[in-house]
Amino acid sequence: MQERLANSFDPFVLPYTIGLVFILTYLFIALIRVVKALPNDDKLKLLKHIFSLKIFKSGWEIFMECLLHRKIWKKNWTLGYMHTAFAFGWFLLIILGHLEVQIYAPHRLNLPWYPIFFRYFMMETQSTMQGAFFFFMMDLTLLYVLSGLGLAIFKRFRRKAFGMKRTTKLRWNDQIAVLALWSIFPLRFLAESFYSEISGGSFLTAGVGSIFHWFYDFTANEIYVRPIWWAYSIALGVFFIMLPWSRFTHILSEPLFIIMRNAGIREEHRNSGYGKVEIYSCSRCGICLDPCQLVSVASLRDSAAINYTRHLRLWKSEKAHQAASTCLMCNRCTQACPVGVDTAALKLNTKHELVNLHTTDQYNYLNTNAGADLQSVPSSVDVIYFAGCMTHLTPATKLAMTKILEASGEQFRFIDEEGSICCGRPVLLAGARKSANELMEKNTELFNQTHAKTLVTSCPICYKFFKENYDLNMRVLHHSQYIQELLKEGEIKVNPTAAKIVFHDPCELGRNSGVYDEPREVLKSVGQLQSTAYDGEESLCCGHSLAAEALPYRKRRVMSEDAVEKLTTNNPDILATACPACKKAFSETNKVEVKDLAEIVAENLV
Amino acid sequence: MKSIAIIGAGIAGLSAASDLSKKGHKVYLIEKNVEIGGHVAQWDRLFPSQKEAKIVVDELVKNLNNRAEVLANSEVQHCEKKDNKFELILTGNKNLLVDTILVTTGFDTFRAQRKEEYGYGIYENVITSADLEQLFKKHNVVCKTGNPPKRVAFVHCVGSRDEKVGNRHCSKVCCVTAVKQACEIKELYPDCEVYNLYMDLRMFDRHFEDMYHEAQSKYHVNFIRGRLSEAGENKDHQVVLKTEDTLAGKPLKLTVDLLVLMIGMEACHSQKSLNAKLGVRSDTDGFLSTKDIFTQNNFSNTDGVFFAGTCTGPKTIPETFADARAAASLVNAYLMS
Repeated sequence: MQERLANSFDPFVLPYTIGLVFILTYLFIALIRVVKALPNDDKLKLLKHIFSLKIFKSGWEIFMECLLHRKIWKKNWTLGYMHTAFAFGWFLLIILGHLEVQIYAPHRLNLPWYPIFFRYFMMETQSTMQGAFFFFMMDLTLLYVLSGLGLAIFKRFRRKAFGMKRTTKLRWNDQIAVLALWSIFPLRFLAESFYSEISGGSFLTAGVGSIFHWFYDFTANEIYVRPIWWAYSIALGVFFIMLPWSRFTHILSEPLFIIMRNAGIREEHRNSGYGKVEIYSCSRCGICLDPCQLVSVASLRDSAAINYTRHLRLWKSEKAHQAASTCLMCNRCTQACPVGVDTAALKLNTKHELVNLHTTDQYNYLNTNAGADLQSVPSSVDVIYFAGCMTHLTPATKLAMTKILEASGEQFRFIDEEGSICCGRPVLLAGARKSANELMEKNTELFNQTHAKTLVTSCPICYKFFKENYDLNMRVLHHSQYIQELLKEGEIKVNPTAAKIVFHDPCELGRNSGVYDEPREVLKSVGQLQSTAYDGEESLCCGHSLAAEALPYRKRRVMSEDAVEKLTTNNPDILATACPACKKAFSETNKVEVKDLAEIVAENLV
Repeated sequence: MKSIAIIGAGIAGLSAASDLSKKGHKVYLIEKNVEIGGHVAQWDRLFPSQKEAKIVVDELVKNLNNRAEVLANSEVQHCEKKDNKFELILTGNKNLLVDTILVTTGFDTFRAQRKEEYGYGIYENVITSADLEQLFKKHNVVCKTGNPPKRVAFVHCVGSRDEKVGNRHCSKVCCVTAVKQACEIKELYPDCEVYNLYMDLRMFDRHFEDMYHEAQSKYHVNFIRGRLSEAGENKDHQVVLKTEDTLAGKPLKLTVDLLVLMIGMEACHSQKSLNAKLGVRSDTDGFLSTKDIFTQNNFSNTDGVFFAGTCTGPKTIPETFADARAAASLVNAYLMS
């Protein structure tokens, strides 16, 4: 291997080099701005993370997700292959390119364009001609990337083959960036093929190069094919310059996002820096479109997570507010997102911004005489039952729970029988963080005064909030968990029935709290539990979530009907759920008998 | 002799059947239930005159004078238009070939279980306005325990004007029915306290306002503006209501012995399966869509298919009769042309 030219520079390297300098400068400034925008304790977290062993875990995750796209493989192999071919393939080209320079021309390592246009500046000597190890590896990797490109083009026409019904439309900025990206590799391939007779190549470039040679001998007129190097360099330069203004910003932000997330930083205030990185980490891959029922059932495409992040990126706050306040926060998008963008948290901030303009001190009365009837007295019972306001709207559930608790022989108190205040989560979901805190404080005081050991609630919304956001001196259980415990310990017994039951996982209990098994165990003891395609993490949203204040009831209804349709394909006798909101939503459709699992248990108590 | 099939033997169907048969046409009156007379036959007394519903239905039957062929307990399974005639297949494989069809399928009452928060079917002392009429008919207006109620509350707009159950429309008759029933309760039990929980009172027709006035001045019925938020049950099986008096701006808790839900009108559910067969369609509120809301209110979009009564939206009894007579004269004109 030797240098082909005395000169280590050619004007065609300029577009690439300018692009590279631009993007590195951008990255440096953006990094400083993001870190500066972090609250001080988050900065400390980041620093601690970087200088701890945990950084290796982040490194591994970056490798697995940013380069190998592990989560996309899980969704669909073809889609996974396509993304990996681009990311990992390109990464290999860069690494191998630098290795080549390191080995054969170490004095040129200071020239950033040298590894990229290696086969222009360097040539093989006779001794290594035809099949040098690196040339072979480079050709193989290039072929790998090109295969990914082929799939990407194919995907534009037949996205169903990639397991996607819907994908994103490309705007002008993305079109330029995609076009540049798609040109980079074919142009490199052409340039290296034309030059294979001059600088050497391997099976791919030399093979195709010899075909070109058959038509015309370029070795004598190198000047004719020089423009291909220009085109290759320009494609790279354009791509780099478009990086911050297109969907490909995620290439830069995702590694940082992973590090920050692993450092324990969360988006708690708008524009905290972390949120910015999160928004820019959305690659607009479109994987979240199909799971979103607002898109697939209610035709509200603008509310999809992917479009919400776009509104934020483009500072379209009106549209972002609209998307946030029609979102049901079922988190099916977050579940599907290969990057792990948690739009629910971002949406809360968007709402918070809007709501706090209008609300002040709503719950002042809690500490005045009007709140006096909420006094809770200390008592000797171990179990307190909090039905929750939504459960008071589905009284069959609370009566069933009273019956079960009485049958168990456990001493309990129904603490919100006469009334209560909201747990605060619906208020928080509406964006009123301050009001939610007031309610939380009052409830915490009331609950802790009872000195009970266990708090049982029938509402998954309350459950999630009590469990995660409250500081209670007792364990918190959803009634499905408590009933399962009573059954396991033999405190209550049920008669098994032949009823065919399908269980719908409420979003707040399942996906958002991770309780999947207990309800199923309870139902198995009392009926024939059937599985559906929407069990567990795949669970649908019932449409009645309290989060979507601006979602019209007609849209909700369409979603409920669609969900019931999908859940009852095997004609179950009962559609069981464990959430008052889901129960109301499904009962409305009038298609199947809908019951809370507590009702089924109460009906069949021995 | 021209023939006509009338689907639904409620008051609209009966009225039109007698008008058309008097004109000398062959009338088939198809009724899915065993009894004819529709919802009115289930009622005790009617606003605004307190006339007995039974008398109204009896008058209609008497007018009909056995001139029409009543096909009770049968439903339309299939319908096809063949050369300006309609071929109908009824349950029991009975075939009819008629020149025209008049749809008088009426309405369904709202299924009160759908508002689970009001406790119908869960708490024993929660009944619907239709249930109360049955109790009036049996002269047995008592709580589940058999004791006369000391305090009764009526909830207006149950299943009407309620976005959450998918019904935006007003059912028109429930406000005044609640006033009528409240006065009837007071007539039976002068010491009973009676409350009406309303959104707003729509006393739009003749004598309604007088009834409302009398309810307050003569019977001392209490009217509270506020929707019921939820109902609970105490140890004595009384119903505990949580609402807000929106005129006073205060939350309110009310314990009653009997809660009456003023269920509204919904488009007839069994009608929906007929739509495609008849070539007619439902509007966004579920009721049938007429050719023109002003000038062609009894016409469907299919030539030869006419509408009368509450199948095209909630109506009072006088309105239903007017509509049925109009439809009958239009059908007659169609048959004679």
